[in-house]
Amino acid sequence: MDHSSLAGRIFRGIALAMVLVFFMFPIVWILLMSFQTNEQILRIPPRILFEPTLANYEALISGQLRTAAGNLQISFMRNLMNSFLLSSASVILALLLGVPAAYAFARFKFRLGETIAFTLLSFRFAPPLLVLLPLSLYYQQLGLNDTYFGIVWVYQLIALPLILWIVRGYFEDISPDIEHAYRLAGHSWREAFTRIAVPLAGPGIAAAGLLSFIFCWNNFVFALILASADKQPVTVGALAFVTASGIQYGQIAAAIVLSVTPTLLLALYAQRYLVEGLSLGAVKG
Amino acid sequence: MARLELKAVDKCFGAVSCAKGVSLTVEPGEIVAVFGPSGSGKTVLLRMIAGMFEPDDGDILVGGRSIVDAPPEQRGIGMAFQNFALFPHMSARDNIASGLRATGASDIAAKVTAMSRLLKIEHVLGHRPRELSNGQKQRTALARALIGNPEVLLLDDPLRNVDAKLRYEMRLELPSLLRRSSAAALYVTQDYREAMAIADRIAVLINGRLVQVARPEEIYARPASVAVARLFGDPSINLSEVSPVADQGRLTAAIAGTEIMLDRNERETSTRQRCWLGVRPDDVVVTRQNSGGAIPARVVAITPMHERAVLLLRFADGSEWLAAMAPEALEAGADEEVFVQFAPEAALLFDHASGERIGLPPRRQAA
Amino acid sequence: MGMLEIRNVDKVYHTRGKPPVHAVRALDMDIRSGEIVALLGSSGCGKTSTLRMIAGFESVSSGSIALAQRPIHELPPAKRRVAMAFEGYSLYPPLTVRENIAFALKAQQLSRSEIAQRVDNIARLVEIEDILDSHPRALSGGQQQRVSLARALVRDADLYLLDEPMGQLEPQLRAVLRGRIKGLLAERGMTAIFVTHDQTEASALADRIAVMEDGVLQQFANERELKNRPANLFVASFIGEPPMNLLETTVRRAEAGFRLTAGSGMAFDIPSQTLAPAAQQALAQADRIKVGIRPQRIAIGSGEARLRVVSNQWLGDQSHVAGECAGHLLVAVTSSRVAARPGDVVPCALDAKNLHLFGTDGLCIRHAEAR
Repeated sequence: MDHSSLAGRIFRGIALAMVLVFFMFPIVWILLMSFQTNEQILRIPPRILFEPTLANYEALISGQLRTAAGNLQISFMRNLMNSFLLSSASVILALLLGVPAAYAFARFKFRLGETIAFTLLSFRFAPPLLVLLPLSLYYQQLGLNDTYFGIVWVYQLIALPLILWIVRGYFEDISPDIEHAYRLAGHSWREAFTRIAVPLAGPGIAAAGLLSFIFCWNNFVFALILASADKQPVTVGALAFVTASGIQYGQIAAAIVLSVTPTLLLALYAQRYLVEGLSLGAVKG
Repeated sequence: MARLELKAVDKCFGAVSCAKGVSLTVEPGEIVAVFGPSGSGKTVLLRMIAGMFEPDDGDILVGGRSIVDAPPEQRGIGMAFQNFALFPHMSARDNIASGLRATGASDIAAKVTAMSRLLKIEHVLGHRPRELSNGQKQRTALARALIGNPEVLLLDDPLRNVDAKLRYEMRLELPSLLRRSSAAALYVTQDYREAMAIADRIAVLINGRLVQVARPEEIYARPASVAVARLFGDPSINLSEVSPVADQGRLTAAIAGTEIMLDRNERETSTRQRCWLGVRPDDVVVTRQNSGGAIPARVVAITPMHERAVLLLRFADGSEWLAAMAPEALEAGADEEVFVQFAPEAALLFDHASGERIGLPPRRQAA
Repeated sequence: MGMLEIRNVDKVYHTRGKPPVHAVRALDMDIRSGEIVALLGSSGCGKTSTLRMIAGFESVSSGSIALAQRPIHELPPAKRRVAMAFEGYSLYPPLTVRENIAFALKAQQLSRSEIAQRVDNIARLVEIEDILDSHPRALSGGQQQRVSLARALVRDADLYLLDEPMGQLEPQLRAVLRGRIKGLLAERGMTAIFVTHDQTEASALADRIAVMEDGVLQQFANERELKNRPANLFVASFIGEPPMNLLETTVRRAEAGFRLTAGSGMAFDIPSQTLAPAAQQALAQADRIKVGIRPQRIAIGSGEARLRVVSNQWLGDQSHVAGECAGHLLVAVTSSRVAARPGDVVPCALDAKNLHLFGTDGLCIRHAEAR
């Protein structure tokens, strides 16, 4: 259908622009801030034109934070590394556990199957603060406090349900007959899973992995309570910029830019891959 | 080569019974069509043989050996699916070769080439399924099912999703193709013409029960019940409720108030209370003049079909019959008053309560 | 005077980033009052776009449509006085079958008894009396389709549009319902257009059939005309079950006409007097032309040609015999039973007067003699 009257097109353009401004403005503003000194940022009225400085980035990368109250050591790059380690490890573990589980939920009807699947999803409903106190007590008892393994484990609460539910949907979209055909051709169910189901659900698995990576990356509270300084991810590490002598807006902005960039690049790269290749050879319906 | 035997197979899904005591033998090299209305359990039956469902009771044997406990990959079965079920991420060549690879066969490339030549898909072997037309997909799926020389071939309505012209072509090609492999072949279809064209024998499945297993012409001429008679024939058989009366050695019945002579059946000594009388539209003769004993009717509409003229006739009591004839033989036009007759031996009688056919009137044999 | 006049209608779909799709090209059709017309073609041929343009769900890109002398192509669907049955049934789920059918009648301000009467009549016609109080979701596909048909046919409209009206119907009911609907339309003098991809349905219901392909109307004629006098190769091979046998032949001049050779031992002599002057000219210029013969026109059991049987299938009312003849696969259909088995050689008659000749441009240059 073509609703292409001139007024309609103009209205649509304006509406799109408004939405774009609403969502993009904070990001652009942060980017601009990251190239300004604290004084420039706090100027009233703010100016669009300024002399850019790389001081904020230098400070982050070198780990030397100069404030009015004196020099401060920060470990931002280490935090970034931690974020990366924790998120990747969590996603890999969640994929190893979640993809076979998703397959089982998609293909087999077993007693309590729906209940178990829903229980796993319901972990996402509970506010993390609710479980934090008991969790940290358990972790102290178990000696998991302040270990990478402990954090990766608790991140499964975030990643596993997501992967399970997204990938399950993709498995359900694959006609079981395709796997049946492969088995009748003389292959075991294990081969049917690895050679047929997993490759065909590939885009879905990638999407679920990417999403859970981003969610893990953005997590704050679990790491805040369960990790000490040297295991902290960037989200917690950013607190270091709230210093005794004030808040270092410039560095915060630069830190945000640095921590957003990897996930953004990942998403942009994967987007192309996600869109491609969902069309199956089978006739639908 | 091995024969396929089903022995009293039962299968329920919850309260729904899909197979009730199904027993059937398919000889090697034989094609048996499993035919029935949708939801009659045809596909479930095939899937039990393929190993996707387990029968609740009964046994399935290939070459005298029970396969019920074997996983699908060890049953020696080739199967073609209604939705083709090709592997979307593999080329047509790899799709066809997938079965040979698993068994470590030699000469895979030569075998794939030979099979694809037989099915006329050599030129698309390098294509992925989504680049194939429906006809090519279906041929690829058939090649994949046939290539391993399976002992049992299962074909689950393989022509359902291809267009009419291709379906017709395949209908001519399939029997010889299947016979080459000398497998015991079960062919599921919802189209009675396809079943008659392709199969050596037809197994009619209604509500999970095999109602009749016989050669196509036998089923068409002597259906076991009203339900079977209604399934075979397009347009389908005319049915009227009658109470035949035996009088002075003659059997007569009233249709829409007109006394009609029926074939006297020796095996039928007493007259039944109520029966269904069935006459195939091809056996109905429509004339403009009443030559005696004909039923008056009005032509409601003429609907040409399969190179024949099909007349919808309405009797005085409001009941309707169809008549089919060559367009040249058509005498009457729409909305005309006509007279309807049929040869006594063309009428089939069915018990009203059970639906089973009464006696065996010798049906006129076509030349 | 035509009831529906379609004048030079085009439909072009524009999708951003893709080349425009020309779904219907320069369509010209005149439909008479009381006529039943089928739009027949394979998927993507433009038949559904045409129906939707008449109904008003699609705009025309250019051209005009007039119904009962009223230009309607710029009116909203509700003002066109057309009734439509949709392929996807589109029944209102919260209403019962009875309410669904009566829905449009209520808008017509008919009395309650009149509505009840009409609903009962149409329900009897399509055999849904016993499900009138059910809700659509409780019905099978075939029942839903019958309700959808009833809802369209019960209304008063200038034109009835039916999209694949019988595709889902139970096979045993199809033949009878076709007859009844055709009878109803004729009795009330209703004008109807229906879309179908099934030529059996088209020939059964329609007075005239519009064969479409690639957005172009190929031929618009009654069923016999389409079978006996196909306009071109497409119509010839598309219409008819089983499809027409087509043979490639080489053309040679012979005394008093032309000789068409289709292979060793298969040649046809076409006398010049059976050809129109234009056809003679076309044949004189061509090296190779296609000839077609309907399976029903090949006689089995007598004749000069020899057919090596590949398959012989008896369908209860007709035999389909496929076999090789001079290197061609031919299909013959007879209403009597043929005793041949695969591998047998049977005589068959391929009579030159039963041949359709197609020029190199695909247009038919001579039709088979009508029977």
